[in-house]
Amino acid sequence: MNSRKDRIRTAAVCIAAGLLVGAVIILLLGKNPLKAYFNLLQGCGLAPKGKYASGKGMITDLLSYVDSVTPIIFAALAVAVAMKTGLFNIGVSGQMLFAGFLATVTVGYSSLPAVIAKPLVILIGIAAGALLGSLVGWLKYRFNINEVVSTIMINYIVSYVVSFFIQTRYIDTVSRQSKLIRGEARLTLKNVPIAGYKCDIPLAIVLALAAVIAVHYLMHKRTLGFELKAVGYSPKAAGYAGIGVGRSIVTSMMISGALAGLAGVSYYLGYLGSIQPKVLASTGFDSIAVCLVGGSEPVGILGASFFLQIISKGSTYMSSQSGLESEIASVITAVILLSTTMSTVLMEFMRRRRESREKRRAENDSDQ
Amino acid sequence: MTLINNTIIDGMAFMLPLLIMAIGGIFSERSGITNLAVEGLSGMGAFTGALAAYIMTTCLGISSGPAYYLSFLFAALGGMLLGLLHAFLCIDGKANQVICGVVINILAQSVTIFLVKTINREIFGKPSDKIDLGVSARYTVPGLSKIPVLGAFFTKIYPFEVMIIILTLIASYVLYKSRFGMHLRACGDNPHAVDAAGLDVAGIRRRAVMISGALSGIGGMAFAYSISAKFSASYFVGYGYLAIAALIFGNWTILPTLRACVIFGFARSAGYQIVQKLGYPSSYQDLIMILPYVLTLVLLIFWSGKNRSPRALGEIYDKAKR
Repeated sequence: MNSRKDRIRTAAVCIAAGLLVGAVIILLLGKNPLKAYFNLLQGCGLAPKGKYASGKGMITDLLSYVDSVTPIIFAALAVAVAMKTGLFNIGVSGQMLFAGFLATVTVGYSSLPAVIAKPLVILIGIAAGALLGSLVGWLKYRFNINEVVSTIMINYIVSYVVSFFIQTRYIDTVSRQSKLIRGEARLTLKNVPIAGYKCDIPLAIVLALAAVIAVHYLMHKRTLGFELKAVGYSPKAAGYAGIGVGRSIVTSMMISGALAGLAGVSYYLGYLGSIQPKVLASTGFDSIAVCLVGGSEPVGILGASFFLQIISKGSTYMSSQSGLESEIASVITAVILLSTTMSTVLMEFMRRRRESREKRRAENDSDQ
Repeated sequence: MTLINNTIIDGMAFMLPLLIMAIGGIFSERSGITNLAVEGLSGMGAFTGALAAYIMTTCLGISSGPAYYLSFLFAALGGMLLGLLHAFLCIDGKANQVICGVVINILAQSVTIFLVKTINREIFGKPSDKIDLGVSARYTVPGLSKIPVLGAFFTKIYPFEVMIIILTLIASYVLYKSRFGMHLRACGDNPHAVDAAGLDVAGIRRRAVMISGALSGIGGMAFAYSISAKFSASYFVGYGYLAIAALIFGNWTILPTLRACVIFGFARSAGYQIVQKLGYPSSYQDLIMILPYVLTLVLLIFWSGKNRSPRALGEIYDKAKR
């Protein structure tokens, strides 16, 4: 109980550190940090803006914000599943791009009706991500290749190869991105009128919430989840206990990759609708922050996704309002990340403080 | 003929910065601190170096010659400072070193890009997302460069290539022959023995990571001068991770790491030369760009199994534990 409280407190300390550093930077640049942070909320539809373009309202921004959170939830779950098994999957952005690209060229441009196209997109996303993920797991257990190095290499390979195909075959000469996919295949319903405002309905968020529950169930209630965690704690001990370490590594990376694939299709075929060549989605890296702040637990991740995405999503509006560079958002996220790396020490500090407080209380009690 | 010559010239210019970054990584990892932060350290070095060079040439009126060499000094300083942060988090903060390295990379990337934009707008008064560096001068050794094939090693040399070769020799001496180098390597294999001998494990490791940062910074600056002639977001293309892959093939020793860097550098430059020779459109360059990464994976498949990393690599040193 107390350790969970400590974890939440640690996350709060890390977030506060990030926001504080951000505030100091904004102050140094002669701007008002409170106003800037309020702009973040406005940009996400969590606070009303001064004026809106015609046909848009707070709910437009809010739904667009939820749309942008969806891939982050999947991606952070992907990082978490791998991390529980002691693996660090920083190839999420590559797995996302691979899944997104495959789904785009197979279904995105096809003439399939929506009832077939949308589920197909999701299935292709899962399959493509799982394939790439299990490749990484296999390289790790069969050839002892550090997954950090192999995922980074695969990130670059996927990025360049996809960029090659987009530029030679699928380029939209005006936007310099891949051609927009057809609405039937898209996981976000665009421009649906709600209460007189045009809104984008993110369908995949339902799936993302289901994934949170599924991963929680897998990790805490199933033997497979227990085995994966055991391998994460100590591969040797797990091996002696009869758990297949190699199989667990591949399985874990396969699940992680499948979740990353879902992140990919909900990002490229939902939120964006096209792929920009030569750019890896920052989602892959943001998801590491989300996972660490969320304590690698599905429920924590859900909260952290919604919170941290306020910073990235709202930064565009903040930039237009206050003239700050929108990159300040990634600086704040990076500082939060830095603080989470020290969570071991922070937790230890809190534990020690609590223990000394309890000791003092015990002494006081015995005195009376 | 020119194909081979150009392959050698470009290959050398690519592999030497990679080598010095990898040697930096060796220093850190042989002392027991996993360093996946090479990418971020080199980027931070390239940023501070580029900024210093820009200020020296445009604001202080220092001629580009001395500014060039001084910029490498600033690059080393920038890398060293960020290295100090990595050391602090890993040693004092007891962070997971793998995660910490990646976090440092993310931090370096976001901070440098934010600073480039902000400094350009607030101080130099022009909205721009890059710092321009002049193209570095290149030298050809008269006489020696006329030798067929081998002459290419003395043709169109960047001054930093000579600097890196000298640094490599010094680093090899320090790591293998000096007292500090021996202590450093002992920290990576058996920190408890070092502690028992009355030496400061944390201090030695901290210095090792700082050296790693400085060397990475120099490598990053060399890349900024040679490949892009500017510093911008496009600097971060993962060469730091290539350097790590190189030191893993190199089994955490300098000479075999050099061999890995040679393979990377020459595969890449030969690929470019062949695409140009065959006259393919520029989009085919994307396919050539994957060569070093694919090669890394393939080579890792053959080499990783036989490797022996430093015994205490990545472990948080705890005096009380035995």
